[in-house]
Amino acid sequence: MSENILEVRDLVVHFETDDGVVKAINGLNFSIGREKTLGLVGETGAGKTTTALSILNLVPNPPGKIKSGSILLDGRDVLQMSDKELEQMRGNDVAMIFQDPMTALNPVMTVGDQIAESIQLHQFVSPKDAFEKAKEMLQMVGIAESRAYDYPHQFSGGMRQRVVIAIALACEPKLLLSDEPTTALDVTIQAQVLELMKELIRKRHMSMLLITHDLGVVAESCDDVAVMYAGKIVEIGSADEVFNQTRHPYTEGLFNSLPNLRERGEELIPIKGLMPDPMNLPEGCSFAPRCPYATEACEKQPPELRHMGGTHYVACDAYNDPDFCLRRNSHG
Amino acid sequence: MENTNKTGNIRQFKGRSLGQETWRRLLKNRGAVVGMIFMVLLVIVAILAEFIYNYDTDIVAQNSKAIFASPSAAHIFGTDQFGRDIFARILYGARYSLLIGVGSVAFGLVVGMILGALAGFYGGVIDNLVMRANDILYAIPNIMIAVVIVSLLGTTPFSLLLALSISAASSFARIVRAAVMQIRGQEYIESAYAMGLPTWKVILKHIIPNCLSPIIVQVTLAIGSNIIAASSLSFLGVGVAPPMPEWGAMLSDGRPYIRSAPWLCIFPGLAIMVTVLALNLMGDGLRDALDPKLKK
Repeated sequence: MSENILEVRDLVVHFETDDGVVKAINGLNFSIGREKTLGLVGETGAGKTTTALSILNLVPNPPGKIKSGSILLDGRDVLQMSDKELEQMRGNDVAMIFQDPMTALNPVMTVGDQIAESIQLHQFVSPKDAFEKAKEMLQMVGIAESRAYDYPHQFSGGMRQRVVIAIALACEPKLLLSDEPTTALDVTIQAQVLELMKELIRKRHMSMLLITHDLGVVAESCDDVAVMYAGKIVEIGSADEVFNQTRHPYTEGLFNSLPNLRERGEELIPIKGLMPDPMNLPEGCSFAPRCPYATEACEKQPPELRHMGGTHYVACDAYNDPDFCLRRNSHG
Repeated sequence: MENTNKTGNIRQFKGRSLGQETWRRLLKNRGAVVGMIFMVLLVIVAILAEFIYNYDTDIVAQNSKAIFASPSAAHIFGTDQFGRDIFARILYGARYSLLIGVGSVAFGLVVGMILGALAGFYGGVIDNLVMRANDILYAIPNIMIAVVIVSLLGTTPFSLLLALSISAASSFARIVRAAVMQIRGQEYIESAYAMGLPTWKVILKHIIPNCLSPIIVQVTLAIGSNIIAASSLSFLGVGVAPPMPEWGAMLSDGRPYIRSAPWLCIFPGLAIMVTVLALNLMGDGLRDALDPKLKK
């Protein structure tokens, strides 16, 4: 048994379209420890969802192509598995929660059948037992088991997301991939669903990759945080390290663009510009064009992740200068 | 058993499925109900016709004493130039029309659904092959295809059925392909894969059931149009050959006498019209019932 449930090494994923090659993920490295939750943060198009799909080896091919790298799930490389092994792994070892509960459920199947489908597929039980287990799962996520016979259109958004969670957890996977599980829900329901997920994960000793662009969600539920930009991790570390000792200018930008509860009326500082076109990434650091600290050197060579103490790593060459310090930190 | 009580309680909360919901809405549509009742009667008649009438003595046997009898109590729809009872022939003819209509659509549905699902799901080369072949079929008038097949295989009900099912297959392939392409990109399909389902199960359990509503509607409408097509081909002499009492063939037989004995044409024509109307009413009703956006 390896130490980490998931280890992603040098992952490169490209989408080869007629218009050109979209470089979605460019050398990704991270790992998730057992019973740990890693928050993967980044703006739209940073490659977060592609990362999750790569872990299931479900990147749509064509046009998607996993060019290189390895994804070790419990020591076994997902990218080397046969179709049969993949089918056994999906849903059983790794399950995924999708972003929009409105479209993630099949409208013509009862929710009970949808939960039972996964159970029946991976555990050798009769359809009847699977359905009984499905009812238990519903109860576990806080839905009356009598509603197993209902169809998705008879549920509200928050309830549907609970059903999606029940499907994902039905086979007790070791790793849960949650792709913005609360984005499509309103704020009060978000808190409920998040609380439910945290509790279930703790009870079942599962690990989770939580994809989000909501830093509040990360602060509340993650042990570790990875910040992604243009298909690369720019900063990774424990939640405490990333939130309280922010090292990367992009992470700083993300925090600056959040309203501060203590100092109301303060102006927000947005990150200027747009994310680079993934078909045409800059030669050097991909954040350099938007970075307030960028120097000429930044545009020449892409930075490597460097160790900043503890479990904290950052990809920024400004730290070649030992005196460099982000404004956020210099204020104390 | 301990569970029985529990399950018994649960049953009363059971929600209405999509099928039950559709059925309920269908029953609210008067036209569709009339159409359905007529079709049920027609099917019963078609099945019973064999027991009521003897094909050799009642349907094809000539009776020179009663030629061109106008409609009366003895012959409700009158008799034709050979003295055959038109009412009996029309009832018996329902067998041919229904068999050819339903048979050609069923055959076309199976072939069209397989090809359409493959083309829509896999796209790329398979899609191009299937759909370009389909375009070629579309470019040739259906009647031409039918004439070629019938002249190759002879004027039997089977060759007519085969000819009609080819055009049915091509239109089903189009409809299924479009529906599959739309469903394929949905998140619950991705979710089914993430659950570990193999591709064939994803197609059978998740994609096809979600494409059913346009297919069901098309089935009812296609049966109607294929009955008309079968009758037209028989009318032209490339369908079911006389003396078999096919409606189109009867219409064609009666054509020379339309001035002196119009009932020879009126009744088979009405039979075709009413049957197709009933099927179209049903199809329209189904389309409305299956489309939740039209829900009032």
